[in-house]
Amino acid sequence: MPRPMSFKANSVIYFRGDVSDKIYILKSGRISLNSNDIETGQEIHDYIQTGEFFGVKSAMGKYPREEDAVVLSTTTVIQFSVPEFEALVSQNTTLIMKMLKVFSNQLRRIHVKVSSLLAEEEHVDPEAGLFNIGQYYLGKKRYVQALHAFRRYLTYYPSGTFNQKANEFALKAEQFAQQYGAGKGPSIQGLDSSVGGTAAKPDTGRQMSDAAKQYYAAVSVFSQQKYAEALRSFKKIAEESADEEFRIKSLFEIGRCFFNLEQYDNCIKHFKSLIQRYPKLPELADALFHVGQSYNEKGDQEKAESFFQKILSMPGTSETVLRKVRRAMKAAS
Amino acid sequence: MNLEAFERFAVSYEPGEIIFCEYEPGDAFYLIQGGRVQISRIMGDIEKTLDVLQQGEIFGEMAILEEAPRSATASAIERVKCLEFNRANFEILMRGQPAIALRLLKLFTKRIYDQRRRFMILTLDDVQARVADVFLMLNEMQVNPAEEEMDERVFQTTQDDVAHWAGLSSEETRHVLNHFVSQRRLEVQKDQIIVKNINEFIRFVSSRRKQ
Repeated sequence: MPRPMSFKANSVIYFRGDVSDKIYILKSGRISLNSNDIETGQEIHDYIQTGEFFGVKSAMGKYPREEDAVVLSTTTVIQFSVPEFEALVSQNTTLIMKMLKVFSNQLRRIHVKVSSLLAEEEHVDPEAGLFNIGQYYLGKKRYVQALHAFRRYLTYYPSGTFNQKANEFALKAEQFAQQYGAGKGPSIQGLDSSVGGTAAKPDTGRQMSDAAKQYYAAVSVFSQQKYAEALRSFKKIAEESADEEFRIKSLFEIGRCFFNLEQYDNCIKHFKSLIQRYPKLPELADALFHVGQSYNEKGDQEKAESFFQKILSMPGTSETVLRKVRRAMKAAS
Repeated sequence: MNLEAFERFAVSYEPGEIIFCEYEPGDAFYLIQGGRVQISRIMGDIEKTLDVLQQGEIFGEMAILEEAPRSATASAIERVKCLEFNRANFEILMRGQPAIALRLLKLFTKRIYDQRRRFMILTLDDVQARVADVFLMLNEMQVNPAEEEMDERVFQTTQDDVAHWAGLSSEETRHVLNHFVSQRRLEVQKDQIIVKNINEFIRFVSSRRKQ
């Protein structure tokens, strides 16, 4: 049961360092909580108002008291155990809300103090920080996590410093997640885990090739739905680049540009010749899907159907493409 | 606890899915209803697990205060179901479920204490005292009556953890630890560090603290 207690001037209700589960409310009189500022060591006196609780944090958290509770004039307090205190405040949510605000304020203040002492070593601009998280996961081939981070980046910083790269990497993460799955796939070019941060590390062999740069720039244009412009860029890479990987990648993207430009005949022609030249194209199923969809758009459902059936019968087709095919077949029927 | 009334705040996550990312602005906090949640930070080239939380626990609570960037990443270890609250619906929750409000209150007392304690370490100028004080803090956190009477303490901790708490670089920390080892005040093993005489460390730290 909560019980009233009386104290004479100059008595001490508790000392700093004491561990106790008692919480008090001041009914009448005057009390000062004396402590030392943790930063300067200066003595601090906090006077308790009538009706105010004290000793709450240390009792609830079972921590040593951080102050001496000194009685200044004849005083009456009511003493609660932690369960009694909890039962009381549960009936009074306004009181809890008030305390939460007080505590959160204290927490914020101490947080700021700690951060200021750690300032030199831990200061990372949140924008660069978030982008780096994406890069970290992408580097570890954890594509779903990387995609999440880059998408959040693009949501919060739509015109941010790393916007273009975040776009490219998000696309990569999405593509690799479907194509290879977590933990698999080739390493990704152009990651630089130290942008804007302090974790500077020697960076060797991570420079993006010119072909890669051009390719990802074009991918970015594509993702902005500027298909005609993307088409020109991909064509340029496909014709001029010395890097076969990006030449083939660009050839594939050219087909997608045709499709999105609604040039279905060009799309069909382009993918058919691409598949003839590179029968082992990594994106073979996706290429066939675009051919099927192009026939669909042209109203030739029979031909579309035959391409879709072919994809369904191919071993090792990714679940994403299969889903797209099934959806397209359902829509057509 | 009956939380059916809060079903409209329920959100689910697949294994491995990120709930929120370090550095992302936060505007919500979560109460776990099922599944485990990993709290981690990326330090250099490794992802370090800070905590694993389960049903009934709260995370992301700093967002109630302000939309500060998240200080860690939260992700689902298995399939996770949470209730998600933001400042707008926070009061509804608190009024309907004072027990959660109380839990939050306790969480804040713990956070305040931890941060104050951390701050105490960082205010020490002497790097040896700082490292020693990290062990005192760890000692306060792992109260074990069986050990009370003894001088020796075993801590399941690593050099990197100590460096993190002391606010020192890995090299500085290793240097100090080696110094303690050479004085036979400490033993460093693979994933534990043994303090030979915790009381001697207490005296050492208090002698270095400004009064």
